[in-house]
Amino acid sequence: MNCERTKEFLADYLAGELDEKTLAEAQAHLAGCAACREELESLSAIWTKLGVLPKEQPSAALRSRFYDMLEAYKEGLEKGGTAARIYQTISSRLSRLMPRRPTYQLALALVLIIAGLGSGYLLNVRFRSNARFEVATLKQEVNDMRRTVAVSLLKQASASERLMGVSWSSRVDRPGDEIITALLETLDHDPNVNVRLAAVDALYLFYGHPEVKDGLVRSLAGQTSPLVQLALIDLLVGIRERRAAEALERLIQDEKLNPKVKKRAELGLAQLS
Amino acid sequence: MLESKSIWVSPNDIRRFVDPTSDNRLMEEVGAGRVERLAILFERHHVMLFNFFLRLTGNRSHSEDLVQDVFFRILKYRKTYQGQSKFSVWMYQIARNAHVDHLRKRKQEMSLDDQFEEPASPEIPAVERLNSDIDISLLRIALDRLPLRKKEVLLLSRFQEMKYREIAELLGCDIGSIKSTVHRAIKDLGRIYLELQGGESP
Repeated sequence: MNCERTKEFLADYLAGELDEKTLAEAQAHLAGCAACREELESLSAIWTKLGVLPKEQPSAALRSRFYDMLEAYKEGLEKGGTAARIYQTISSRLSRLMPRRPTYQLALALVLIIAGLGSGYLLNVRFRSNARFEVATLKQEVNDMRRTVAVSLLKQASASERLMGVSWSSRVDRPGDEIITALLETLDHDPNVNVRLAAVDALYLFYGHPEVKDGLVRSLAGQTSPLVQLALIDLLVGIRERRAAEALERLIQDEKLNPKVKKRAELGLAQLS
Repeated sequence: MLESKSIWVSPNDIRRFVDPTSDNRLMEEVGAGRVERLAILFERHHVMLFNFFLRLTGNRSHSEDLVQDVFFRILKYRKTYQGQSKFSVWMYQIARNAHVDHLRKRKQEMSLDDQFEEPASPEIPAVERLNSDIDISLLRIALDRLPLRKKEVLLLSRFQEMKYREIAELLGCDIGSIKSTVHRAIKDLGRIYLELQGGESP
């Protein structure tokens, strides 16, 4: 055996996979070849060294997870099996109902199709009107609930709850007078600037109501915070409310007015006229 | 039934085909619907498999997840098992696929959170006095620096009781290339180990 051939067997040598004859031949070569001997020694040293890597134990959770999975899989399999058997009996029963002659089969098929279409149509008509009615009722109920929640939140002592009330009222589809009044009330009298600003935004959604426009114009005179004043001017100019012009003029006369607000009011006045 | 030629069949092979509790028979039963028999295979192999993954990934919880994944896949694909290949060969095929999928998934996650994750490779604990402990740590780091292919082949032959012939079947290549891969892997490992040791000595 030469060096090259011996190298091919080194892996077998390490794993103990050599048969006796080849082992003897390889050993004969190794005895006479220092280079191969050295190579084998360094290889088998590290091969043996790997033995110090301990065998670790997995946690107990692994075993219980496996058994849970096996159990679940088995259950699923059994259920699936029963379902398949039931399906088979039903389909064999049904197949007995089928007439033998093709003509009758065709006739039966036609009758079934017509019956199916007819009953489907009837059911659909009924169901639709019913469903439409139910959905409408439900919508109404949700809307009523939102309205109640919004109004009661607007009357809370904490500013964050009142803010929530404002946001709830903007989700009401058709706000009643109650909501509008509550929002205008908030806009005029709420001590918190953020809540008043939110009320401006919410009222923007309902500006189609005549009372909203009136209220907004009236409110402009009473506001003290520049932020709310700016928001109101933006809104009134945005919806092109002509009656706001008068209120703006009066606002500009005010000497204590914030210069930025004054500028915006003058600009708004120009835009409105 | 044993004809004159059959004397070359090893006792192990006979057990494989005749013994009702051999892995192959059990797996065939699982395939035929007696899934509870998988419990015996689990008890026989799960610790070995866990250690295989632990040495591949260096992470205990990932390794446990991978073992669970392998047995789940065995159930899922139980009908595709064909008795001609040894059960463990088939199982390690599934294990390799599970590991590849795991790596792919980790790669995607890594891009998001690699700076927050602990490194997958085992680090040497700060206080380690016993030489054998240092040996273990160095070997683990050295193993971790081998390319995946070499590492897999080495682990399978050294720790998972697999013959070169079986590893060749598992990886779908010829036995000669497996042997030379083992040879080179051991050589590389030795070199890396020595380098690490050199870096360690004061």
